[in-house]
Amino acid sequence: MATISIENVRKNYGAVEVIKGVSFEVADGQFAVLVGPSGCGKSTLLRIIAGLESVTAGDIKLDGKRINDVPPDRRGIAMVFQSYALYPHMTVAENIGFSLDLKKVPKAKIRKEVGQVAELLQLSELLDRRPAALSGGQRQRVAIGRAIIKKPRVILFDEPLSNLDASLRVQMRAELQRLHQELHPTIVYVTHDQVEAMTMADTIVVLNQGNVAQWAHPIELYRHPKSVFVATFIGSPRMNLIKGVVTSQDVTSSFTATEGWTVPLAGKDLAATETSVWLGIRPEDIRLVDANSAADLSGKVTIVERLGAETYVNVVKGTETLLVRVRGDIALRSGDTVQLVLDRASFHFFDQADRVFPA
Amino acid sequence: MTGVRKLSRAEATAYGFLTVTLVFCLLPFVWVVLASVDPNAALFLSLPKAITADHFVKIFTAENGGRWFFNSLVTVGATTALVIIVGGMGGYALSRTNAWWKRPFLYAIILVRVLPPTALIVPLYKVMLISNGVMDALVRSIVPPDSIRSAMQIFGFVDGYLGLILVLSAMQLPLALWIIKTFFDLTPKDYEEAALMDGANVFQRIRRILVPLALPGLGAAGLLTFIGAWGDFLMPLTFISSSNLQLLPIGLFRAFQRANTIDYGYLSALALLYMLPAVVAFGLARRFLVQTFAGGIKG
Repeated sequence: MATISIENVRKNYGAVEVIKGVSFEVADGQFAVLVGPSGCGKSTLLRIIAGLESVTAGDIKLDGKRINDVPPDRRGIAMVFQSYALYPHMTVAENIGFSLDLKKVPKAKIRKEVGQVAELLQLSELLDRRPAALSGGQRQRVAIGRAIIKKPRVILFDEPLSNLDASLRVQMRAELQRLHQELHPTIVYVTHDQVEAMTMADTIVVLNQGNVAQWAHPIELYRHPKSVFVATFIGSPRMNLIKGVVTSQDVTSSFTATEGWTVPLAGKDLAATETSVWLGIRPEDIRLVDANSAADLSGKVTIVERLGAETYVNVVKGTETLLVRVRGDIALRSGDTVQLVLDRASFHFFDQADRVFPA
Repeated sequence: MTGVRKLSRAEATAYGFLTVTLVFCLLPFVWVVLASVDPNAALFLSLPKAITADHFVKIFTAENGGRWFFNSLVTVGATTALVIIVGGMGGYALSRTNAWWKRPFLYAIILVRVLPPTALIVPLYKVMLISNGVMDALVRSIVPPDSIRSAMQIFGFVDGYLGLILVLSAMQLPLALWIIKTFFDLTPKDYEEAALMDGANVFQRIRRILVPLALPGLGAAGLLTFIGAWGDFLMPLTFISSSNLQLLPIGLFRAFQRANTIDYGYLSALALLYMLPAVVAFGLARRFLVQTFAGGIKG
C-alpha cells in the first residue's frame, strides 16, 4: 500500500517530447485510471512508474521517497502487461510463482502461495496448463495472479482488457473491482476506454498530448469538465457542442446559436461575449416536448438508434446535429420534426481559449 | 471398383515421369547402403549375395576411421556450440538495437556467405598463418618444449583444432545471426520486461526466459551450422595436414583417390558413416526448423 506522486514529469524521445510536465497523485489504496486517446503518453507514464523507462525531468515518489533511480524490481510495484506476457514455456503455476522462485523461496511455500492466489482468481484447476491452452480471460487472470503474488504496494495495469471481447470485459471489470476491494492495493490503470475509467476509478487522470487535461473523481469529471477535450472525451455518447454567442439585455442573458435559435439563461447571469463560444450539453439533458408546448428549438430527426432501454436521436438544426437521449419505446422516425427543451442547469460554456466560464 | 479413380493419360504420364525421377535420385543411396554390406561390392548396383560388416570393421581397425570421426565430431561440435553462443548473443543484440549501422552490418555479413570460399582461400591462409605464428610464440612461452607440438595441434591456427573451428564458425555465423535475429524480432520485449519486474537479473533473464523462448531459433541455427560445417570439405583440406587431425570427408576423399585399389565396399561404409551424424542431427532438430520458419512464439 502506498501513495504515488508524479511531480512535473517530462519525457523526451530524441527531440520529441511525449510527456510535457505531468503532475498528479494517487492516494494509498486508490484505484486511479489514466485515460486518454492513443499517443497521449499514458502508457509511457505507466512504464515510467514501473521503472521500465527513465524520466527526462521530474520525480516519481512512492510514499514521499524519490524512486527515479530505484530499479523496477526494487520498487515494490507489479505490472500487468497488455499482452499479458505470460512465459509460454512455463505452466500457470510456474508463471505465477516465478518471482518467488527467483527470490529462492522454498518450493513448498511457493506452492502454498500459488495455491492461495489461484483460489482467489479461480485458477486452481488450471495450474498445470501452459498459457497457450488458456482462454483470453484465463490468461488475464494468470497475469493478475503473477502480479498480486508479489504482494506489491502498487499494481500497474496497461490496457489489460483491450484483448477481451465485450462480455468478458464487463465480467473482468467487476472482477478487478472485487480484487481491489479485497486486497486494497494502490492501482494505476491505463486505458483508452472511458467506460472502463468511469466504472472502476476512484480518481481519473485525463491525459491529452502529454499533458494532464483534468484530474478528478469520475462524477466530478463528468459533471464539471474543465475543457472541451474532457467534456467530449468523458461520457458516451459524447456531449453536444453548439457554437454561438452569449448576449445580455438588461439583467437577462441568453445564448444565441450560430444557427439562429436563442435560449434565455435564467439564473445564469453571464456577461455578453464578443467572440463565439461553445455551449456543451449532454444528450440526457435535452428533452423532447409536444408541438404545443414551449420549446427552445425545433429540428428534423435524421437517425434513430434504438438500444432497447433508451434511444438516441440525431436532430439536425441547420448545419448542427444534436444528439438526444430519449426513452426506448418512443415513436419516432427519420424525417419527423421535433421540439427540444434544453436543461439550463446542465449547460457547460467553453470560451475560445478552451476554458470553462464562468470560471 | 470403388475408391480408385482412373487416372487420365496426362496424370499417368506425370506420375510415370515422377517415378522414374525418384528412382534415379534414390539409386545412389541404395547403392551406398547395399555396397557397404556386400563383401564383393562393385561399381554397379547388385543385391549382395552375403552380408558382411567387414567394411565397417576395416574403417576402425585397418584405417584410422575412428580418429577421423572423432576429429570431425570435435571440430564441428565445437563450431556448432560456438556459433549458437555467439549467434545467440549477437542475434539478440541485432534484433533489439536501433543503431544506424544495423542494416549495413546485416547485409555486410551476408557477403561472407555470398563470396565463394575458394576465392578467399589464399588471403585467408595468409591470415591464419600469421595468427599461427603469434599463437606459436604464445604456446612456447607457456608450455614445456616437449608438449609444444601437441598443444599446437589443439590451439594452432594452421593444422590445429582451434584454427579450423574458428574458420568454420566464421563461415556459418552470418546465417545463424540472421536466423536468430529474425527469431528475436518476433519475440515481444514484454517477456523480458515482465521478468525484469519479477526481479530476474540479467543472467536469470537469459537462462530462464530468453534461452527457452529462443530455443527453436537457436536449434534451427545450430542444425544448419552443424550440417554446413559437417559437409565442408575445403577448410579441413586447406588447414589440416597432420594425419592424426584428419577429418572424415578428407579421409573419404583420400580413400577414393588411391590409384590402384578402389575398395567400393569400404568407400560406401565410410560414406554411410559420414552421412549418419547429419541425418541424426536433422532428425533431432527438425522440429526447431519448423517452429522457426513457420511460426515464432506461441502463447
